[in-house]
Amino acid sequence: MTTTVDTSSHPGSDHSAPPPRPNPFTRARRAIGGNTTLVNIVGLLVAIVLLYAYLTFNAVGFMTAANQSGLLRDAALIGVAATGMTLVIIAGEIDVSTGPAVALSSVIVASGISQWGLPTWLAILLTLAIGAAWGSIAGILRARFAVPSFIATLGLWSVLRGLAQFVTNALPVQIPDSDPIMDVLNGSVLGIPTPAIVMILAFVVFGFIARKTPFGRSVFAIGGNAPAARLAGIPVRRVRVALFAIMGLLGAVSGVLLTARLGSGNSTAANGLEFDVIAAVVVGGTAMTGGRGSLIGTFLGVIFITLIGNGLVLLGVNSFLQNVVRGVIIVLAVLLNVTLSRRRGSREDD
Amino acid sequence: MTSAPPSSTRPAIAEVRGARKQYPGVVALDDVDFTIAPGEVRALLGQNGAGKSTLIRLLSGVETPDAGTVIIDGAPLAGGVAEAGRRGVATCYQELSLVREITVAENLSLGAWPIGLFGIDRKRMIASARATLARLGADIDPEAIVGSLTLAQQQIVEMARAVQEEPKLLILDEPTSALAAAEVDLVLATVRRLSAEGVAVLYVSHRMEEIRQIADSATVMRNGRVVETVSIAGADTGRIIHLMLGEALDAAPAISAGRPLGEVLLEVRELSLPPKLESVTFTARAGEVLGIAGLLGTGRTELLRAIAGYERAKSGEVAVRGVPEPRPTVSRMRRLGVGMTPEDRKGSGIIPGLGIDENIVMSDYRSVSAGGVLVAARIRTATKALAQRLAIKADNLSRPITTLSGGNQQKAVIARWLHADSDILLLDEPTRGVDVRAKAQIYDIMRQVADSGKLVVFVSSEAEELPLACDRVLVLRDGRIREEFRAPDITVADVLAASMGAHGGTPVAVPAAPSSTHPTAADSGVPSE
Repeated sequence: MTTTVDTSSHPGSDHSAPPPRPNPFTRARRAIGGNTTLVNIVGLLVAIVLLYAYLTFNAVGFMTAANQSGLLRDAALIGVAATGMTLVIIAGEIDVSTGPAVALSSVIVASGISQWGLPTWLAILLTLAIGAAWGSIAGILRARFAVPSFIATLGLWSVLRGLAQFVTNALPVQIPDSDPIMDVLNGSVLGIPTPAIVMILAFVVFGFIARKTPFGRSVFAIGGNAPAARLAGIPVRRVRVALFAIMGLLGAVSGVLLTARLGSGNSTAANGLEFDVIAAVVVGGTAMTGGRGSLIGTFLGVIFITLIGNGLVLLGVNSFLQNVVRGVIIVLAVLLNVTLSRRRGSREDD
Repeated sequence: MTSAPPSSTRPAIAEVRGARKQYPGVVALDDVDFTIAPGEVRALLGQNGAGKSTLIRLLSGVETPDAGTVIIDGAPLAGGVAEAGRRGVATCYQELSLVREITVAENLSLGAWPIGLFGIDRKRMIASARATLARLGADIDPEAIVGSLTLAQQQIVEMARAVQEEPKLLILDEPTSALAAAEVDLVLATVRRLSAEGVAVLYVSHRMEEIRQIADSATVMRNGRVVETVSIAGADTGRIIHLMLGEALDAAPAISAGRPLGEVLLEVRELSLPPKLESVTFTARAGEVLGIAGLLGTGRTELLRAIAGYERAKSGEVAVRGVPEPRPTVSRMRRLGVGMTPEDRKGSGIIPGLGIDENIVMSDYRSVSAGGVLVAARIRTATKALAQRLAIKADNLSRPITTLSGGNQQKAVIARWLHADSDILLLDEPTRGVDVRAKAQIYDIMRQVADSGKLVVFVSSEAEELPLACDRVLVLRDGRIREEFRAPDITVADVLAASMGAHGGTPVAVPAAPSSTHPTAADSGVPSE
């Protein structure tokens, strides 16, 4: 962390300054959410525009309708889970079980439809409920038994992937070719793929929750200073359980969408998805130490990560090398973000 | 300065001459002379801000004086901590600096591991730790994990680490403040052994019993000056307290007696939380500011935490409005109207990332939301009114709380419980580290809150401020309530004397119910109201 000297009694140098009028800049920053700096948002926007420009001219097939639609679907896979992950990380926690959660959900929903003879809507509801349930288990382990969330969800990561492969023997579970609900979920509305609409909906809903509800503000408070939040009467445990339940639920949503897209439930799907999700959140300016972050930042982070993945494929970069490049770019982006915000003095004291 | 201690006939091991130290806005030390001889145990006494810590920092080389000199073992001290260490000054600060997860022996050789042919030589490490501990007469297993030891044992390990450096002057800054009374003997025995070896010990403490047991003399400081160095045998505690306080401070209490009080809001019966609290019993009423006095580490915080449900008492009972709470959890006590502000404002009071407004409303979101959604206008109205009432100086309440001064941060944390409309406010050291004006404002706020029919329990380690703010003061010492004072008969000297243990070890019985000056019928604790 920063090595600033602790000046608890007179924090910051600005409290003695004449009261600045709430200028548009400040207001915009607040509107964007929490303490995420405008620098971060603007920086990401610029990076995305540049990437778009570069890929439009240099990557064959980038600006085609098919690729843009695929881009949105890829973004949705990361983005839906990234909404909940933003809250989880703001609360000072982590959930690494997303990939296997998506995979097992896809297996459950596909099995529900094609093997257990459930109506599609019921299979989907069942999947969502089960997802929320295993999320709560991780949450209870964290909140009630003080198992670090990294460990609790690492365990879940292994269990979920293992279960998915065990029940399917690692074979895909096909769903019927014409399933009206699944067709809608894989279709598009006004040219926008359904998963992308779900993702945007999730961002709107969670953006609202984060800014405007007691639950959302409690998340910020807990991530900012958990003992203080507890002393202030915030139900810290309940909020933590709810966060992981939400992550489980969102993983299940992604699993259902992925099943609709692939036409099958697949135990090996979404391999390494959790890293893309966490990377998107962090690139979006959410602090891994908790207490600070925004959903709009995450949204841009999701677009950024997706663009890089898509661009590297279209540019024909060796598929093994892609991971290397992606890793370097993500770390650089975060490094730049941290450096910039520190220079601007916009880091709160820590 | 005036009366020379008996042991100062020997040449001094450490000496401070005409030292002056100024910090922005305060003169911390002013023309201070101080000497200590080998083998002498010297107590250092003084109120907060008297200059004790600054003197310690000069002796241990952490700071250099603006004027004057520090002489260690015959030569002036020029360098910093490292040089002072080489020249034989070792300091144990209040906060232990041990690594809790590793063994005693590992702690003792941290950074200076004995290296053998195959890396760290564990046998040698353990043997040397055993030797040091034996030298201190401590029965501690060198292979025990530090975290598994009692606090007193940990304190000994901390001292052992200092002793390894073969100090000529050992400075102990409130070494017993975290210890229960029974554990103190272990530390005192260790000090005695070191003194017998010829080590000079400068001992900061306010527990008169232990000072009388081990110190030869006491240096009393006040307002950055050494007032006097007295021989312990010759001075009674009243005299020492008089030296600590000076003349001016015993002003008339601000609170007049006989103010009408309301119903009994809080009853604590035989509350025990070993080793800190032992059978604490008291009653408090609406409209009252009840002070809890006591030295550092006497269980004040534990008492508040037990009442607020953050710590489960081993036995005893807490009753709110006459109704005993069988399972006092945080959420239950909160629903009953108990709110607590912590001592450690930065660590567990404020949420640094959030605005002032959000730091206030977090105690109760319901009253500022509609249909589960926060309403900005309601937050604004609620926090504006509170900020005005508590004189929180901020042009814009949505700015981060860290932009406020310490005093205003504290007011915001208090405002949190006013927002939740709690009836019982437990304030743990609310005036610590805030400036004089903010202190006065906080006294006003407590009075105002009490006058609105609530109960304020005010914990403070500064005896001077209790008469200014309280209707009644309970003095905790060694885990028990030893004395009770009522306005207008609360004096700084009495409170301090009771805290320091001037009356020896005899506990003063405190009546469970408030005395008959209150003509209400609820003293029996029957839930009649």
